[in-house]
Amino acid sequence: MAKYDVIVVGAGNGGLSAAAYLAKAGKKVLVLEKNKLPGGCATSFRRGDFEFEATLHELCQMGTSEDPGAVRKLLDGYGLNVEWVPVEESFNSISTDPKNGFDVQMPAGVDAFIDEMERQVPGSRESMTTVMELSRMLSDGVGWLAERHNEPSGLQKVEMLMKWHDLMKVVPVTTDDMLRRIGVPDKAREIYESYWDYVSVDSTKMSFAVYAFMTYTYLVKKPWIAKYRSHEIVLAYDQRIRELGGDIWYNTEVTKIDVKDGAVRGVSLKTGEYLPCDRVISNLMPTVVFDRMVDPKEVPERDRRLMNARKLAQAAFTIYLGLDASAEEIGLKGYDTFVRSTGDTLQQYNNAASLETHQDYCVTVLNNVIPDASRPGSCLLQFSKFYTADVFKDVTEEQYFKLKDKIAMETVLHYEKLTGLDIRSHIEEIVVAAPVTWARYLGTPQGDVYGYEPGTWDGMFPRVQSAHKLDYTIKGLRFVGGHGTQMDGYSQAYMSGAEQARYMLLDMKEGC
Amino acid sequence: MKYNYDKKALQGLSVGPFLNQVKLRTQKIEEAPDTMPVSVFNANRLAKALHPDVQHVKISEVADHGGAKSYTLVPDAERGTEKMAYFRASQYVSVSLHIGDAVLSKPYTIRSSPADALGTGKTSYILTVKQTSPAYASKYILENWKQGDTVDISGPLGDFYYQQLRDAGTVVAIAGGSGITPFYSMAAAIVDGLEDFNLTILYGSRTADGILLKDEIEALAAKSGGKIKVVHILSDEEKDGYEHGFITAEIIRKYAPEGDYSVFMCGPKAMYDFEDGEMKKLGLPKRRVRKEMSGDYFGAEKNADYPVQAKGKEFQLTVNIRGEKQRVACKAGESLLWAMENAGIKAPSHCRSGQCGWCHSKLISGEYYCPKDADGRRMADKKFGWIHPCCTYPLSDMEICIYPTE
Repeated sequence: MAKYDVIVVGAGNGGLSAAAYLAKAGKKVLVLEKNKLPGGCATSFRRGDFEFEATLHELCQMGTSEDPGAVRKLLDGYGLNVEWVPVEESFNSISTDPKNGFDVQMPAGVDAFIDEMERQVPGSRESMTTVMELSRMLSDGVGWLAERHNEPSGLQKVEMLMKWHDLMKVVPVTTDDMLRRIGVPDKAREIYESYWDYVSVDSTKMSFAVYAFMTYTYLVKKPWIAKYRSHEIVLAYDQRIRELGGDIWYNTEVTKIDVKDGAVRGVSLKTGEYLPCDRVISNLMPTVVFDRMVDPKEVPERDRRLMNARKLAQAAFTIYLGLDASAEEIGLKGYDTFVRSTGDTLQQYNNAASLETHQDYCVTVLNNVIPDASRPGSCLLQFSKFYTADVFKDVTEEQYFKLKDKIAMETVLHYEKLTGLDIRSHIEEIVVAAPVTWARYLGTPQGDVYGYEPGTWDGMFPRVQSAHKLDYTIKGLRFVGGHGTQMDGYSQAYMSGAEQARYMLLDMKEGC
Repeated sequence: MKYNYDKKALQGLSVGPFLNQVKLRTQKIEEAPDTMPVSVFNANRLAKALHPDVQHVKISEVADHGGAKSYTLVPDAERGTEKMAYFRASQYVSVSLHIGDAVLSKPYTIRSSPADALGTGKTSYILTVKQTSPAYASKYILENWKQGDTVDISGPLGDFYYQQLRDAGTVVAIAGGSGITPFYSMAAAIVDGLEDFNLTILYGSRTADGILLKDEIEALAAKSGGKIKVVHILSDEEKDGYEHGFITAEIIRKYAPEGDYSVFMCGPKAMYDFEDGEMKKLGLPKRRVRKEMSGDYFGAEKNADYPVQAKGKEFQLTVNIRGEKQRVACKAGESLLWAMENAGIKAPSHCRSGQCGWCHSKLISGEYYCPKDADGRRMADKKFGWIHPCCTYPLSDMEICIYPTE
């Protein structure tokens, strides 16, 4: 007799959300995590006086507790005890392109955003207003779909055609195409597309509906972060899962998911222990599970082909600095700033495919949102780079440390030269995380942090539409996380956990 | 109209592609090759090679320095370790030990050059172990380890290494006794061309005869083309050619370069307490002073903020391991980690000084003391009741959940 209704493999954002959902529904849940901590990407770490946020830039679909977005509703529903903090800006973006460059600080709020865009790019108001109105429609449409669990049935399908045909029209259109159709001036388009790094594909591959929805939601609901870093979110999950009767075992690596005759039977641990269970939620990527953890004979053909059809998404490179002067003293402005050599996102994407050409990065100053994020008179500064190809493929052990240090040095020097700010005379603590670091903690191929590229054919909408039945190929096995149906990012991982947990409850009821 | 956008932008678009997108996705999937996916790439291979959970090693050589010994560790292929993991000069490994009924792990710096861990054949580490006070693990190792023995160690750990972005071009190293080991490794890495900075080692020993690895470190300095300098400071002996006394601000000023430098120190807590005062005299900012912290935290009970009422008491510690509960005795002033190890529970730990977080454990109930200078916990750990047993001392009966790897 299995002791647990569901075993969740991996306590990342998706796994924790699924576990909380199932535990709340009264299921006996056990979460198994190979690391000593929950969270996967969602964690923090200490060096000296500083506590660094590992990965969270901002949560989407949050809003206030009075006017909650979908993610806030979900997390409040779980009962997570987290002190949320809003980011009072949208984003800052710098393109150093000598011809069409820009240096903008975009505010939160739709009107403020349009106003600032008009100031930066005179003549953009009308087209940006259209973008925002389309986005408002998309936002309502996504909400309508979410209320029907993204599976409108029967008459609802007709209703969808009547009400939301414009949404349906713009889902398969790329962001770039749509903005050109609307007549957004090039510079305004490039500024508007700045967020693309967080969705892993450039604007010529990303669905307009998805990108516009996300950007709009950030504008109206603001980006949010957790006061005590993402470690606070995941420990809140840990606590709730325990309170709801679930359990989490850390330092517990699952080596095999036992699948026989197309159905899950249990999991094997590194220690040799075997836990019988006929329902498993995997927070690990399907590629990892099918390559390493399931009997090859049991890997369905659709999954083999699916893995090969997809492209792995970006691998992260992050430089964390603890500085011994305040952001104000140093002159660090804004929370999140994209720095690129061109405004063209496809070129950015292509540049990011090699060590030599990838000079771009995102700069994050946590103290500009949480002033007391570090001791008075100090601040936390982070540089994030995302590689779009396996750029570490030929690196040897001997080269590795030097390469890490070289990229970190080049990035900081680039930023100092660009801004005229003095960073290096203030570095008290430094940590550099390369794709190898992410591969170490997450076990993802190439140190991928965003799952699979959500290009148009494999974008959020077709994934979500395939999520319940089509991509459910092994009885009892479902996948959640940033690689999941809802795409990458914290908010999306939480949504994917809830989505798949709900489907699993239906599976249990229907015996499939 | 509810939404105020120009329909012109949607001209020529239909709902067809949307209705077709699941079919299109399936078609794309069906067109892809039917081969097993690959999940292991070079980044994954490197992650595993650089950060093995465990390294099974054999002691190939023992060198006696009188009061200290150096153990050369080589991979034990029979038990599955083909080569030693490459590391950054100054890093340590956590060594698994069984002493009587106790199971524990203790951090020891890899004293040799990272170059010796490179390559495929003949890779090795050297650990130099000196008897410490209070002597326990070091005494056990010195009395028991011999050539041919097998040992398990962790992958390389610790962040005491040189960082070009952060540190000055010259490092003034303050070494107390066996605290020479990380600087020895740095010196070897400089000579081997793996690191590039100037290293001035102010090396404190009791007497000239007792200087650990004296000839060896001086030989490295001689080969370094002027990059490495070694200055001996004797606390218990006055002798020509040697500095005498403690490593004071005055001595540091005498040997430090003009202008910018970083101080790295490795030695006992008493040395750090003394050097804190000297650093103040030198007016060095925090970013220019680094301390190697790994190793047991001693003297919690002597701290000014330690609650006196707990002194001398003994408490019950309930240890919950994946649902199985065990009760062990834990004396006030004794870390929870030590109480568990002493009772034969292999609790996770690496640095033993509150810093690395490897022993991160869930507090269920009870009162405890955690020294401020060893509280390496995250803010949310305190909010949700998580502790580092290596630096947690009981003030009442306690219950915790731990997650041993075995």
